[in-house]
Amino acid sequence: MIGNIKRIITNKKVCRDCEACMLGCSLLHEGESGVQSARLRIHKDMARYEFAISICRHCKDPKCMTDCPSDAMYLDERGVVIIVDEKCTRCGNCKDYCPFDAIYYDSNKNKYIKCDLCIGRDNGPLCVELCPVGALKIK
Amino acid sequence: MPGGWTGKILCIDLSRGDIRTKESQLKNDEYIGGRALAAHLAWEEIPPEIDAYDPDNRVIMTTGPLTGTLAPTSGRTVMTGISPRVYPRPWYTHSTIGGWFGPQLKYAGFDGIVIRGKSDKPVYLDIQNDRVQILDASDLWGLDARNTQLLLKQRVGQEAQVLTIGPAGEKQVRFATVQHSEENAAGHSGFGAVWGSKNLKAVVVHGTGSVPVANPEMLLEEVVRMREQKYSNLLGFLYDTGEQKEFAACSQSCIFDCFGNFYGYMADGRRVPANCIGTSWTVAKEMHLTRYAGGGFEIPSSKNFTLEKEVPLHELCNSLGLDLWFRLVMQPWLTRCTQLGIYEIRGYPIAPEDPSWFEKFMYQLSKREELGDLFAEDLIRAMDALEGELPQELIDLGREMEFNFGYPAHREGRFWDEEPLPFWVISAMMHVSSSRDPGIGHHLSSLLLAELKLADEKIARKQFRLLSEKVWGDPDALEPNFVGKAPVAIWSQHQNMIIDSFPLCDFAFPQLIRPFRDRESWEKSRDILGDLDIDLRLLSAVTGESFDRKQVNRVAERAFTLERLMQARAGRSRKMEEQLASHFQLPCRADGTAMDKSDFLRLMDEYYSARGWDLELGWPTSDLLKSLGLDEAIPELDQLRLRYALKK
Repeated sequence: MIGNIKRIITNKKVCRDCEACMLGCSLLHEGESGVQSARLRIHKDMARYEFAISICRHCKDPKCMTDCPSDAMYLDERGVVIIVDEKCTRCGNCKDYCPFDAIYYDSNKNKYIKCDLCIGRDNGPLCVELCPVGALKIK
Repeated sequence: MPGGWTGKILCIDLSRGDIRTKESQLKNDEYIGGRALAAHLAWEEIPPEIDAYDPDNRVIMTTGPLTGTLAPTSGRTVMTGISPRVYPRPWYTHSTIGGWFGPQLKYAGFDGIVIRGKSDKPVYLDIQNDRVQILDASDLWGLDARNTQLLLKQRVGQEAQVLTIGPAGEKQVRFATVQHSEENAAGHSGFGAVWGSKNLKAVVVHGTGSVPVANPEMLLEEVVRMREQKYSNLLGFLYDTGEQKEFAACSQSCIFDCFGNFYGYMADGRRVPANCIGTSWTVAKEMHLTRYAGGGFEIPSSKNFTLEKEVPLHELCNSLGLDLWFRLVMQPWLTRCTQLGIYEIRGYPIAPEDPSWFEKFMYQLSKREELGDLFAEDLIRAMDALEGELPQELIDLGREMEFNFGYPAHREGRFWDEEPLPFWVISAMMHVSSSRDPGIGHHLSSLLLAELKLADEKIARKQFRLLSEKVWGDPDALEPNFVGKAPVAIWSQHQNMIIDSFPLCDFAFPQLIRPFRDRESWEKSRDILGDLDIDLRLLSAVTGESFDRKQVNRVAERAFTLERLMQARAGRSRKMEEQLASHFQLPCRADGTAMDKSDFLRLMDEYYSARGWDLELGWPTSDLLKSLGLDEAIPELDQLRLRYALKK
């Protein structure tokens, strides 16, 4: 049983849409710059100048994982769901099950992606480090 | 293809409905991207001596290798072409736009767009990755810029990014903008009117690709270091009151706290980002910087109508597609009219301090109705039309307020900017030789250094000597006098070209001064020099190619020279530039200094000589062109010289 799962807490009210989080994420994970390959998304409502931030909440009972028909996801020791790309059949169930719209299909690479809390990075999640307004915090 | 570039430019001919792509022909080490690449494309494509509204004029939009990456402030786009705003005759110049459009264009697979021709009906350009279409814009024509964007996003998807003109562009107002997002605009150069003349309403782009980065680890390392340093643009440490502020971002990947960007609030609580001059509308309680008295001129302070009224007015200005700067020129000028007892012009009443009148005036400008039609030609052209109808003081004032070839006076130490000696002298040289009002990391004052001098002259001058020695090899380069300033002016122009070509934001780069935590730590410092090579490291990290300063300076000089050649094509020469002398005879608002005409002419000699331009016309010599690999321009320039001699 994993206690105290760390997760990224978002504050959409202070987000200013610089997208450094997404660009940093794609750079770290894919070695390129683009929003399509980011593991989190900023959605802008221009009419209201409001933002929504979608990122994995690391659910205690992750339906994306338990319902994966190809057993292509596992919970690591931090309590973070990790996608095993080699096992993934690209069925998209996980994306559909996610209540937080936090699993994405990268059409350029034909693969599903999600936040892994920057696994192996000493300073923790890069998006948190880059965010200039504290809209992303790790707790 | 190395990292950073996509290698493709989209070429649109609106007359033929033709859509092609061509290789960027970047010759990466020769033009890099952005403004330098645009100068190269314009030199090749735009026929000499055409008007801004000629269908053969081009709308050139370019990004740079850093656009769309994590490099801080790099989400920029450059727009160039023949500008209708330039006075007395249109010539080639540029604007730059922050925001999110350039990155989307890169993600769609293009480094830039070149648009020529004129559609016979309103159209917009729809770019979805490599699917590009010219579509009917009849239903968009007449809509304001904000609603055009909202509608296109609804149609194409919220992730799409839009550049659009408002009604002002459709009516070819000479200071009409191309708008993007809430506040970003190609504002000053009137390119919105060029779009209007081509019946081009908007460009919408959505890309799902990415920008290749050659060395992700190096890029991350640089960005994280900058974030840790908490670099604050515009010497925020001088003004830090400890008050918690919210800084808006005006560009993708800007991680800095920029003292130029804040939020205004609408009555319903909606945030309205305001950048640069937009903050004068939405944040400042008084536009006191418009006040000036000297040399026989009197400019009143612009009245702020209270933030409750200003924030919606500011949004309206953007929505109509008017350059926000028009306010800082026209409102004080009109207020001066009323101070002199003039309450109507050509039978139309004026009440510039009445917000409802001012709002109505903005609509009139954008529709070219009533008084708006006259002033849609810009203040300086309105002065030509009104000469003899109004007191000469007002005509002279209007001309002086747009003395810089039709651009609002800016960076000249008189009307709006605190630029004590020697900074206004450096700016004067840049005014003499730039295609528009000059810019260089200076958005409070020239080079940001003027702010330090104004904060504590004794400390600053000591620091300047060491900094000048290190950067320009001359400890006297920033001494408050009139000599030996050409190297600083040229350095500034080349830095500006580099920033616009990579691209980066000139609020943040070059980082000539290192970050300071607070005023005290600045006061105690001897060496204030910042890190001037961040740009090169970012470029190398993204592209995987190694660039040195000498190489990049050469790119900047070549592109600046191409811009100069295009001004020569439009007939700009020394004679025209000498007319700027009178403006610098006015006392500097910061310290009262000024220069007479003979000193100004000597300043021009110093600058032209340092550039390798001839002293008679101020045009590049053949030797200079050869040294820059621009030999192909020599015959045309010889022809222009011959024509000039015959005219004489």
